[in-house]
Amino acid sequence: MKKIDKEVADAYFREKNRYMFVYFALWFLVSYVMVAFADSLTEIQFLGFPFHYFMGAFGALFTFIVLLFVNAIVGDKIDKKYGIDDERNKEIGSKNMIDH
Amino acid sequence: MDSQFLVSLVIILCTFALYIGIAVFNTAKQTSDFYVAGRGVPPIFNGMAIGADWMSAASFIGMAGTIMLLGYDGLAYIMGWTGGYLFLTILLAPQLRKFGRFTVPEFIGDRFNSKAALKIAAICTIIISFTYSIGQLSGSGVVIGRLFEIDAKIGTLIGVVLIAFYAAFGGMKGITWTQVAQYVILIIAYLVPVIFMSLQLTSNPIPWISYGEIVTKMGELDRELGISEYFAPFTNGTKWQFLALMFTLMCGTAGLPHVIVRFYTVGTMKAARWSGAWALVFIGLLYFSAPAYAAFARFILLTEVAGKKIAELPSWTQSWIDTGKLGIADTNGDGILQWAELTIANDIVVMATPEIANLGIFVIGLVAAGAMAAALSTAGGLMISISSSFAHDIYYRIINPQASERKRLLIGRISIVVATLLAGLIALNPPGAITQIVAWAFAIATGTFFPALVLGVWWKRANAKGTMAGMLVGLAVTLLYIFSAKYGGFTILGIIDTGAGIFGAIAAFATNIIVSLSTRAPSQELQDAVINLRYPEQMIYKDGEVYLNEGSSKDIKN
Repeated sequence: MKKIDKEVADAYFREKNRYMFVYFALWFLVSYVMVAFADSLTEIQFLGFPFHYFMGAFGALFTFIVLLFVNAIVGDKIDKKYGIDDERNKEIGSKNMIDH
Repeated sequence: MDSQFLVSLVIILCTFALYIGIAVFNTAKQTSDFYVAGRGVPPIFNGMAIGADWMSAASFIGMAGTIMLLGYDGLAYIMGWTGGYLFLTILLAPQLRKFGRFTVPEFIGDRFNSKAALKIAAICTIIISFTYSIGQLSGSGVVIGRLFEIDAKIGTLIGVVLIAFYAAFGGMKGITWTQVAQYVILIIAYLVPVIFMSLQLTSNPIPWISYGEIVTKMGELDRELGISEYFAPFTNGTKWQFLALMFTLMCGTAGLPHVIVRFYTVGTMKAARWSGAWALVFIGLLYFSAPAYAAFARFILLTEVAGKKIAELPSWTQSWIDTGKLGIADTNGDGILQWAELTIANDIVVMATPEIANLGIFVIGLVAAGAMAAALSTAGGLMISISSSFAHDIYYRIINPQASERKRLLIGRISIVVATLLAGLIALNPPGAITQIVAWAFAIATGTFFPALVLGVWWKRANAKGTMAGMLVGLAVTLLYIFSAKYGGFTILGIIDTGAGIFGAIAAFATNIIVSLSTRAPSQELQDAVINLRYPEQMIYKDGEVYLNEGSSKDIKN
């Protein structure tokens, strides 16, 4: 086992949290903020829909899916940047199970 | 027996034979297989299995109908039941995976090193899964009731027998691959009628964004009828109710034990991230379609059913009136069915629309098979949660630690049968629409597990006393609000029973934090275990230092 600089480990955690903050900001914007202003968006037409309805029925969910894939891809990239080897993770993961 | 009955029955039986075949092929032999399917499921398939587990009778049978009746306000269900996947996939699932415990109660028990916390969590799991399964049984009652043209109550009784048998003998290993098959059946069954209706009404086979003109046109029809426009926001409840319901459904998603346990079937934190992303794609296919389904169904009812002579109504009306879920009353006695004289229960819209739109007996049979897949797959997952909480967390870990594996499996199966029977009894006279009953389960999860898990994973200072107090207060506040809003007419800011989770969550977070801070901090070892969750498997936090595990298996500390 190799010791990692505390600063490097902290940087890993901070980098992940920074992205997480961005994801949740966007998540909040497309769902809660859109609903909060729904009354004033009814007049705007978008792809044939009133805009508030479009966001509720399509836009928000579409954004959620994109965010989750971005999270998965960025998560892999960050792991790679810090030299994390997924094969090794699998091996550790498979042993990390309590016996019953 | 008409040909519709035969075709529906044959399609249902064929799909059942498929599920049972897969389940038998994989019959669970060991307890670890029974509960978490051996952890070898690739992310895409795990995503489908999560999707099938997730999309219950509420999503398949209830949701489009709820949106049809509530208009824009029903979209809280679309955003709420999907937005929670961000909480689940980013905030909780990978971290819980690294912690490496079987079930949610087990995580809570070991994270806080407290048997009492484990016990409370096991009881919460049982309450949540039980409430949820009432909705599933009520859904299977609608399907079976229509199939045999009998009262939905008798349909529910038949559903109880099916689900008890199915869950007690499947086990999760069967269920993981069975659920992949169930996902495929249920998504085809949902998409086929929407695509056909889309072709009929808009000549565009892609329903997801083609129905905008229908929504706008319905607004005009509504204005002519003098009712509030379909897409007008907050006509069926306050804006606060919309926000509270959406919040409740999102946090509940991240706190549902039978969904979280799915993430233990993946190998790594990375696989957990990908499973969550794939799951939402597969779930999204149905959730994008539900508002289209709702819009088409309402449009057809408005233009092709309302305004007809009652004596000339097509035959489908009588079969649905028989289930007790459709009402036609000629209140003004003019022999013509006005829009206001038609009462249609949320729960039959998805099942009845293919008949109303005259889509043919195969499509109708397929929808019935898909609805059964949705109700069964979720009920299966719920029953596994109940049985593992009882047999594993309560019986084995607390009552009888010497129990043999065989005995534990037996206790697990008995608890499935008992839970299904009890839930069936309540579902005979369902206390609400399917989506509403399921929303209560989410509210309870929001008030109990969501705060406990988020603080347990992200705040090392959270301790056993704080978490137990938080879960109990959250449970009490949520249940109290549900009952007083539903039966006592008590509301705050117009938030009704389905939005109760927000109050439970606020109370639970506050209680957890206050009690944790005013009692002793958890041991250094437990706090280290929480910091360890910040990093991937290979990085290990120990005594204030982080180590990289590079190889040789003797390094693996567990």
